[in-house]
Amino acid sequence: MNEKSGLVNAPTGFGKTFSVFLGSLIGFINRHPADHATRSRNGLQLIWISPLRALAKDVGRAMEEVITELGMSWKVGIRNGDTEMSERQKQKRQMPEVLIITPESLHLLLAQKGYPDLFKSLHIIAVDEWHELIGSKRGVQVELAISRIVSLQKKLFNQQCSIWGISATIGNMEEAREVLLSSLSLQGAERVVTVKANLRKEVVIESILPDEIEKYPWAGHLGIKLVHKVIPVIHQSRTTLIFINTRGMSEIWYQTLLNAAPDLAGVLALHHGSIEQELRIWVEESLHSGRLKAVVCTASLDLGVDFRPVETVIQVGSPKGVARFLQRAGRSGHRPGEVSKIYFLPTHSLELVEAAALKNAIEENFIESREPMLLCFDVLIQYLCTLAISEGFSPGELYEEVKATYCYRDITMDEWTAILDFVTTGGSALQQYDEYKKVEVIDGLYRITSRRIAMRHRLHIGTIVSESMLKVKFVSGGYIGMVEEWFVSRLTPGDVFTISGRNVELVMIKDMTVLVRKSNSKKSMVPSWQGGRMPLSANLGKKLREKFTEAFTLSSQLRVTGNGQMVLPPKIDPGSPQDPELVALQPLFQLQEQLSHIPKANELLIEHIETKDGFHLFVFPFEGRLVHEAMAAILAYRISRHTPITFSIAMNDYGFELLSDQPIPVDDTNVYELFSPDDLLNDIQRSVNATEMARRKFRDIAVIGGLIFTGYPGEQKKARHLQASASLLFNVFSEYDPNNLLMRQAYQEVLDREMEELRLRNMLERIQQSEIVITFPQQLTPFCFPIKVDSLRENLTSEKLEDRVKRMQAQLGK
Amino acid sequence: MQAPVSYKLRQQQLWLSSDRCVFWEDEKTLIVSDLHFGKTGHFRKWGIPVPQGVYKNDLQRLVGQLQYFQPKQLIVVGDLFHSHENKELELFRKWRNDFPALDVQLVKGNHDILHDRWYHETGITVTEEILSLKDLFGFIHDLSPHQWSFGSSAYYFSGHLHPGIRINGQGRQSLCFPCFYFTDKFCVLPAFSEFTGMAMIRPSSHENVFAIVDNKVMQLQ
Repeated sequence: MNEKSGLVNAPTGFGKTFSVFLGSLIGFINRHPADHATRSRNGLQLIWISPLRALAKDVGRAMEEVITELGMSWKVGIRNGDTEMSERQKQKRQMPEVLIITPESLHLLLAQKGYPDLFKSLHIIAVDEWHELIGSKRGVQVELAISRIVSLQKKLFNQQCSIWGISATIGNMEEAREVLLSSLSLQGAERVVTVKANLRKEVVIESILPDEIEKYPWAGHLGIKLVHKVIPVIHQSRTTLIFINTRGMSEIWYQTLLNAAPDLAGVLALHHGSIEQELRIWVEESLHSGRLKAVVCTASLDLGVDFRPVETVIQVGSPKGVARFLQRAGRSGHRPGEVSKIYFLPTHSLELVEAAALKNAIEENFIESREPMLLCFDVLIQYLCTLAISEGFSPGELYEEVKATYCYRDITMDEWTAILDFVTTGGSALQQYDEYKKVEVIDGLYRITSRRIAMRHRLHIGTIVSESMLKVKFVSGGYIGMVEEWFVSRLTPGDVFTISGRNVELVMIKDMTVLVRKSNSKKSMVPSWQGGRMPLSANLGKKLREKFTEAFTLSSQLRVTGNGQMVLPPKIDPGSPQDPELVALQPLFQLQEQLSHIPKANELLIEHIETKDGFHLFVFPFEGRLVHEAMAAILAYRISRHTPITFSIAMNDYGFELLSDQPIPVDDTNVYELFSPDDLLNDIQRSVNATEMARRKFRDIAVIGGLIFTGYPGEQKKARHLQASASLLFNVFSEYDPNNLLMRQAYQEVLDREMEELRLRNMLERIQQSEIVITFPQQLTPFCFPIKVDSLRENLTSEKLEDRVKRMQAQLGK
Repeated sequence: MQAPVSYKLRQQQLWLSSDRCVFWEDEKTLIVSDLHFGKTGHFRKWGIPVPQGVYKNDLQRLVGQLQYFQPKQLIVVGDLFHSHENKELELFRKWRNDFPALDVQLVKGNHDILHDRWYHETGITVTEEILSLKDLFGFIHDLSPHQWSFGSSAYYFSGHLHPGIRINGQGRQSLCFPCFYFTDKFCVLPAFSEFTGMAMIRPSSHENVFAIVDNKVMQLQ
C-alpha cells in the first residue's frame, strides 16, 4: 500500500481498521530494514483521524499491543478535546509516531505556530469511519486539513504522503474516494485503489411479530407492548444491544424493561449522546468485559470498536435506512465469520413491511449514498482564521489549495474574495466609525495578531455541533447529562423530566446550566432530542414500495374460509419464500384493499376522506418526512393557486395529509399537473417558509463562522456583552447584508438538506411515470391512520393522546 | 410608517410609535429605552462582523421620531450605550450636536458604564435610579428589584426586559414581536434598537399589550 492512496472497504468486524495501521508499520520496516525495531523518535509517521473521541483510547491501546508484539519502539499519542495540557506540550516537543486525532483537533494543530515541520516525516494520513464523516461539516474539515498537509509536504519537503480512508459500505464508494483524495496531485490508476474485502457478512434478520395485528396501526405506542417478547431474547443472549431511534424513547424503554424484568437491574444500562461521559465510558467498558446483559442505546453506539460479548441486536422502530440497519446488525457477532443476528421490533404494525424491505435491500446490497457537503463557507471562514493564527496564509497560494478540495472545487473568485473581505474588513461597515478587527494583512500574509481573538478562535474550533445543548447538573453538584436548549425553554421550574434514567425536577437555568434536584414524582416528561428524527432513506422507500406490490399480490390470492380463517396461497416459487411480515400483516392489507387500495411500486395512492374534522387528502409517496413536508406545502400552494382554500398539513415517512374545511379539488383531470416537476424551484420558494427554515439552519452556520461566541470557561460574564442569538443575527443580516455568503449558505442548506430538493425532483419525475390511483374511502384506512395520529401529537401530551387514539380506534371498529 | 396609536394614561395623552418609542404629548417628551448604541461596534472590535447598517438605521429612526414629534425632551430609560467607548459613539456625538436644543435625560441602565464626564460632554443629564416627573410618571430602567415596593401612586416607565409577545398561529407556527406592555402600575417599553433580542412576556388578561408588527402598532389585548 506504500505510495498508493485509496479507500478500504469491508463489513464491520473484518479488521479493516488494522489493515491500514499494519501497512504503515510495514512501510516503516521496509524503509529501515536493519534498525526498524530500535529506531525511536522518528517523528510523526501516521495521522489517524477518527470521528469519535471515545474510540481513541481503544484504538490506541490495540495499536500499542501490535507495536509491542513486533518489538518496535513507536509511540502512540492521542490528541482530542480530552487530552491534557501537559500531554500536548510533550507532543509539541516530540511527536509520537502515531497520532490519533479528531478533525477538530487536527485543525487546532494547524493553529499552532511551526506546524508545517510536524509533517516532515509523515507517510500516511488515515481517516477512520469516513462514511460517517463524509456527509458532514467535519468531513469538510478533514478535506481542508488534507489539502494543507499535502501542499506543505510538496512545497517544503518535496514529498507526498498516502491517504487512506476506511469506510463501511455506502452507495457512493467511488465518490467517497474522490472526495477524500481530491487534493492529491497524482491520481493515476495505479496509485489510487479501493480495497474491498471479498467477504460477505452473514446477517440474520428476524421480526418480532405481535400476537395480534392491529388493523389500525398507530405511531406512538413505541412498541412497548411487545416488551414481553424482548425479555426472552435478552435472557437467551450473552449480551444484547437494543437500538432505539431517539434518546427520549430510549429513556422510556430503559424504564419499561426494568419494570418488566426486575432481575435485569444492575445488568441493564442506558447509553445515549446526552448522558454523562463518565457513565458512557463505564457502559462501554462493561460491554467489553461482558458484565452487562443488555444496553438500551441510540446512534451513540453505532460506531466504534467491537464489543465482543454482543451476540444479539434489537432494532426498535424503523432504522430509516439500509446502511444504518446494516451497521447496527454488524454490532453483533463482531468477528470475522460470525453471524450477525438482529431482531426488528416495529413501533406500529405497518413498519413490519420495512423489515421485509430491509431484508431484500441487504440481499441486493442496495445501500444509501452519503452526499458530501459542498461550498461550506462557514467552515472555510473558520479555517482561514485558523491558519491566520499560526503561520498566516497568502491568499493566492491558499486559493489553489482550497480549490483542489472536492468541497470547494466550484468556488468562484467572487466568493473567495467575499470571504477574504469578510474576515479582514468585516463586510458592510461605516468606514470612519469602524474598528473591525480580526484578520490583518501584514506583508501580504493574512494574520490574526490579537492574542485574545486567537484564543477565542481556538476555543471555537471544536464547535461544529448541531444543536445548542445545555448541561444538566444537580443543585448539590454532579453532572447528569445534556439536553437541548429548546426543550428546556419550554419547562418552568418545578417541572419533572427524565434524564439518564432518573426523574429530576427543574430548579433553574443559570449560566447555560440546567440546575435540577431529584424527584420522586411518578409523572415526568421525557426530553425529545431532535437529532433522532432522520427521514426514511430513498433506498428504503423504494424497497418499501416494492414490498407493497408483493403484499398486494399476496392479498389478492388470499382466501377467507367460512369460519373467518384466512388461508394463504401455496408458495408460488419455493426459491422466494413469502416474508412472514407480509403474511402476518394480511388482516391489515385486507382492510386497506377493501377500503381503498394497496399501491404497487408503479402507483401513487391518493385517498380522499371526509371526517368530522373536515376534508382530508392523504398522499403516499414513501419518500421520507422531509420530502413529504416540502411536497405537502408545494401541493397546497399549487391547489390554492386555482381555488382559494387553506390547509393544515401533517406528514410522516410514508405519506402526508392535507386537511381543509372544504372539499379538496384533486382529481384525475389535474393530478398529474399538480405533481409536475416543472417550475419546482419557484414553487418551493413561494410555498415553503424557507425563511424560517433558513433561520434555524443559520444557528449552526453562525457558530461555525464565528458570529456567535459561546463563551469560555471563567470568562462567561465578560463575554456577555458579545452575545447575540442566531435568530437576531439572522434578522440583522437579512435586513442589512442579505447577500452575505453565510446567509446564502443557510438557504442552500435548507434546499439540499432540509427539503432534499434533488430527491423531491426525482420523486415527481417518478410520479409522472406512475399511475396515480385516487380512492374515496368511507372511513380512515390503515395507511392513513398513522399520519392522522402523528399530526395529533403536535399539540397534545402523550397521555391524552393515548386516550384519544384508543377512542378513535374503538370508533373505527375492528 | 403608520401614524402613531393614541393611548390615554392617567389623563395624559400618549402616542405609541411603531418605531418603538412613546411620545408624551402633554410634556412634549419622547420616551425610549434600550438603544444599545455602539453594540455593533463592540462586536466588530471583537472580530464579529455584524453589519453596521443596523446601528446607522437605529440613529436615523431616532432622528425621524424627533422630527415627527418635535419633542423638547428625550428620556432614555436606560441602556443608551451598549458598552465601553468606541468609534461608533463618535457618530452619536456628531448626531447629538445636530440637536443642541434637545434636553436628553438618561436614567442609567446596567449597560451604561461610560465615564460621567463622557455623558456630561455629550450633553446628557444622568439620573442614577429613578427619574420622577410631576409626581405623575416615574422612569426606571429595571423594575424587577423594585416592583413590589412602590410607595407612591406614580406610574412607572421601564425598559431592560426587551419585551416580546408570542402569537401562535395554525399548526406549530408561532411568531414573536416586540411590544409595549402596560400593567396598571407600570409599563415596559420595547427595546429601541433592532439589534436586540426579546424576552417573552406573559400578560394577564386585563393588561394592555401593543405588538409592533411590520411597522404597525397592533393592540393585542
